[in-house]
Amino acid sequence: MNIEVLILFINATLVTVLSSVVVIAILRKQYLPAIRKAEQEEQNKERYNSNDDQENLN
Amino acid sequence: MAVTIFVIVLLLYVVIGGILTRFVKNSDDFYVMGGKGSTLLIVGTLAATYLSATTLLGIAGQSYAEGPLVIAALGSFGAWLGTLLAVIYVGRKMKALGCKTMPDYFEKRFNNKWVSVVATLIMIVGLIGYGVTQFIGAGLVLSEMTNINFELLVVLFTIALIVFTAFGGMYGVVVTDTIMFFTMLAISVVIAPMIIGQAGFDQMKSLSETIPGYWTIAGAENRPLGWSISQFLVWILFFTCIPALVSRVFPAKNDFVILKTAIIGVFFAPFMQLIVFIAAGGMQVLDPNITPTDNAMVVGFMEYTPPAVAGIGLAALMASIMSTASTLFVLVGFALSRDVYEKIFEKDLDEKQRLSTARIGQVVVAVIICIISIFQPSAIYWISIYAGSIFAVGWLPTIVASFEWKRMNSKAALVSMIMGVATFILFGELIRVGVITVPEGVDELMIAICFSVGSLIVAALLTKPNSYELQYYSKMKQTSMAKQTINEFLKKPNGLAEIKKQYKQIIVTAVVVTLISVGIWGYFFIQLGLG
Repeated sequence: MNIEVLILFINATLVTVLSSVVVIAILRKQYLPAIRKAEQEEQNKERYNSNDDQENLN
Repeated sequence: MAVTIFVIVLLLYVVIGGILTRFVKNSDDFYVMGGKGSTLLIVGTLAATYLSATTLLGIAGQSYAEGPLVIAALGSFGAWLGTLLAVIYVGRKMKALGCKTMPDYFEKRFNNKWVSVVATLIMIVGLIGYGVTQFIGAGLVLSEMTNINFELLVVLFTIALIVFTAFGGMYGVVVTDTIMFFTMLAISVVIAPMIIGQAGFDQMKSLSETIPGYWTIAGAENRPLGWSISQFLVWILFFTCIPALVSRVFPAKNDFVILKTAIIGVFFAPFMQLIVFIAAGGMQVLDPNITPTDNAMVVGFMEYTPPAVAGIGLAALMASIMSTASTLFVLVGFALSRDVYEKIFEKDLDEKQRLSTARIGQVVVAVIICIISIFQPSAIYWISIYAGSIFAVGWLPTIVASFEWKRMNSKAALVSMIMGVATFILFGELIRVGVITVPEGVDELMIAICFSVGSLIVAALLTKPNSYELQYYSKMKQTSMAKQTINEFLKKPNGLAEIKKQYKQIIVTAVVVTLISVGIWGYFFIQLGLG
């Protein structure tokens, strides 16, 4: 096995792996909390609306 | 046949460039295509700009002569990582701050005329010096292959450049770049595999028996490891802040486009380069006597592929010149009209005047490039020695420090930029004329980077940022592409569902592209590295 050829192709693969890992890390750090917060707000809104409906029925 | 295809493709680019003029309604459209760039367009323009004629001629020639690992294993690796940093770190941050050109950033961050003047000068000299010599070199090869007179070829290219840039602005450049990207892809997907197929992996591997060191990082010339590491550092520093790559992010529609570009565009950097370098190794099997070696790939597609494919090869070579040139020169035009005329000379223009000024800037640049290319003054070759790396020594320390360090201020920026460029040229000349010698693997770029960083730290510690700089620093820390994109999407009906869809799409893209990368490079390793 030629180790230097291995280094070449590992580097070529590594750059894609690295870009994918960095992008996934950005998604998890910067987007996931915002998605969870927005979901929570949507749920609260739905709950509030359904409570309102129930109160109106009563 | 090959020349006919070449001419048809050139005309096609011009027609498409002309059609795109109708999309340019205001200066925003002209400078950043109205912020409407899709993933396809941003990936296309990034990859097309990345693959320059230097890859297809100079570095392919070196791979042919010394072996494909010499530059690719470490030097190109630095360029690939630099491209990732240019998109995800520098470009994404500047886009979030609303920059339309890179000098915009210096103006917003420091609000100091002298910093803007020096930054813009570095950009104009760097891009012209880097672009024109590539333009001339590749134009001469193309002229020889097509038998079209060099001066006529330069005039034809200038007309095409004016159509792309002066009429279409960033629209013209991005869309034609993307079309050119597909032409260039033909080299990696069709032409290079045809050459490799004819040469055969076993014959390529056995080159190390006739040319010792052919399949090593040191190569046939047994270059020291220090040289390879120096190449790695040079390219990573250079690519991280070169405007041609960083500014590709500015027309992106939103952060999701930038993140997808970081994955797909960065994948295409090694994909478009490495297969060409391996094919250059194949050319050593097929024809070991090509001189100059820079012509190895051109001889490859002219002699070892059918005429129609050879025509596409020539068109791809032309595309590699045009896409890099159009990007470099459109940015110089932007610098002239927006950063120098509008901002430094403080001209208050209405929207119509702004668009006209931008267009005049492009025509002026195209004419200057045409004249320099035809007359080839010796000064341009001197400038080109330093132009390629001027951004690494002039801009990079200031950009990184201004992103990350609260104490960073205009005085430190000025000192660092001037010191970086001055020491780069001074030590470069002293080394060239033999007044000083440096250890193997050390060059003027590394020395200049040390001076640039050192002077920045000293100047920043001796001075203080003013209230504007402190305020902008805090604003900058609170600004992010993610926040802007989330707010923009949440305003739409079903915004949250759309964000979740994009989130999943990007994860799937990351996994698929990684698997493709492992598959391709794993295949080549099995063929060339085992046994």
